[in-house]
Amino acid sequence: MNDGLLRVDGVYQRFGGIRAVNGATFDVAPQSITALIGPNGAGKTTLFNVVTGFYKGDSGVVRFDGDNVFRKSPNAIANRGMVRTFQITKALAAMPVIDNMMLAAPDQPGERFVNLFIRPAAVRSREKEVREEAMEMLEVFNLTKLSDSYAGTLSGGQRKLLELARALMAKPKLLLLDEPMAGINPTLGKRLLDHMQRLRKEEGVTFLFIEHDMEVVMNHADKVVVMAEGKVIASGDPENVRNDKKVIDAYLGGEAHETKAKT
Amino acid sequence: MIDPLLAVSFEAFTQPGFWIGVGVIAGIYTLLALGLQLNVGFTGIVNFGQAAFMAVGAYTMAILVIKAGFSFWLALPASVLITIGFGMIVGLPALRLRADYFAIATIALAEVVRLTAQNARDLTGGNQGLSCSDDDAGLCYFNEWRDVSDSINSFIESTIWSDPEQLFPLLLVTWAVVLIATVGLTYVTNTPWGRVLRAVREDEDAALALGKNALRYKLQSLAISATLGAIGGFFFALNLAAIYPVNFEPQVTFFAFSVLILGGLANYKGVAFGAVLFWFVLEGTRFLDLPDPPFTETRIAALRLAITGMLLILLMAFRPQGLFGKKEEMVLGE
Repeated sequence: MNDGLLRVDGVYQRFGGIRAVNGATFDVAPQSITALIGPNGAGKTTLFNVVTGFYKGDSGVVRFDGDNVFRKSPNAIANRGMVRTFQITKALAAMPVIDNMMLAAPDQPGERFVNLFIRPAAVRSREKEVREEAMEMLEVFNLTKLSDSYAGTLSGGQRKLLELARALMAKPKLLLLDEPMAGINPTLGKRLLDHMQRLRKEEGVTFLFIEHDMEVVMNHADKVVVMAEGKVIASGDPENVRNDKKVIDAYLGGEAHETKAKT
Repeated sequence: MIDPLLAVSFEAFTQPGFWIGVGVIAGIYTLLALGLQLNVGFTGIVNFGQAAFMAVGAYTMAILVIKAGFSFWLALPASVLITIGFGMIVGLPALRLRADYFAIATIALAEVVRLTAQNARDLTGGNQGLSCSDDDAGLCYFNEWRDVSDSINSFIESTIWSDPEQLFPLLLVTWAVVLIATVGLTYVTNTPWGRVLRAVREDEDAALALGKNALRYKLQSLAISATLGAIGGFFFALNLAAIYPVNFEPQVTFFAFSVLILGGLANYKGVAFGAVLFWFVLEGTRFLDLPDPPFTETRIAALRLAITGMLLILLMAFRPQGLFGKKEEMVLGE
């Protein structure tokens, strides 16, 4: 339990009277591929937003790599190595693909205004490195030919790849992906999953991803966390979760639901 | 002989005074609009408060010279710093607002500044304007500039032009600053720093998710814009020899936006062209020679704005990206 890279403990997020996340607790082991599943409205994306600092949760603890990052700013959390993608891709449309990629690279002194004037050589040499890294990463994702195109001209699937490639440029320890397979064709999806497996093995990247495609979840995740109505109702390896009665009830609307609906 | 319906007396256009006047005001608006370009075109913050920065810069400079006895040359950097400080105080809360609310907040701010200048009469002279100290010392904010201006003109007189216009040195200095600002902004925007600005413009959440402190970049963008606004304010003050609250009406910011749109978004070199074109049309139409009834002076004044507006409409219809803007960036922005 103590070696979780990410430990989410008793996180609450209310919107007015709606308890979107209602005491969620789970952890993500280092170098694992963990799937976060649950029916629509279970609070998965909201939880992502709380964990990554985009929402300021009401209460709870989010421990990442040893530090509590709960209610920290999203940029501070990202700089610690927890990088996310969005359900609706956020390609920076009016910027070329290569600029999207280079933006994400860490440790560029030229992102501080004064360094443009006092350390121009350091800025230039880092920029050269970053460009090379970015081109290599684009190669991996078969986006090389599009490097100078505006990101807004890419197809939906290409944007998903770009967003993943861009997130990887940030050298994350933990990558949170919100429905990475949604809206992309199965061949591309397969390639994306292969990338994830390879990155986990070669670079030691940990993944937490929201997914609705059960086949993907069952075949590719080491661990599955199931949410329903703002709570984590089950977690464990895919096989156990699949046969968990609470999970089946949550998805199919089991007994507990029906009685509640009647009263 | 029948008077032509629409006529312009072209004589005015042969006078150097006309061109120098247009040149100075166009240079000033280039500076204002360069700041807006950085804010609107590259950072995605819709700053409608450029007139406020201009007013704070101009008034602070004049007050420091006249009331606090500062040297003009020291008052310039001091008032730039004060304008930046003012921009930060305003930006820190206002930049947390969504883009459209920020725009509303800044236009309100500009009016607060103008109305304050109008009513803080002891400090600003109110509607009487601010120019020189009340006593007999003859301390005016422009005295030290006039000395420099005169020596530039006497140098010109002895070399290339026997009878230089009084405003000619101001024209030279304004455009020298325009050149420096255009080159400087082009440089900083093409760096990793500028890349973060564009990312913030495109999608603030995406920038945050990649670890960029969006608010910090927006504040820096606003600080640079405030600096350019203040410098524009100095030149404005020197051009007029007195500062009045009416000089800083929201119209100033709207004119600067017109310049920006004419020149094209996300492009610095277009700004100067936009400013010259805008002020050439607006000032040139001053010489519209139309039969007095029905075209009274006030009607012609209104007509000038209508013609300028028409120019903008035509531009939007046939070249929505402006003179130098990139169409792709405009279409893909949304």
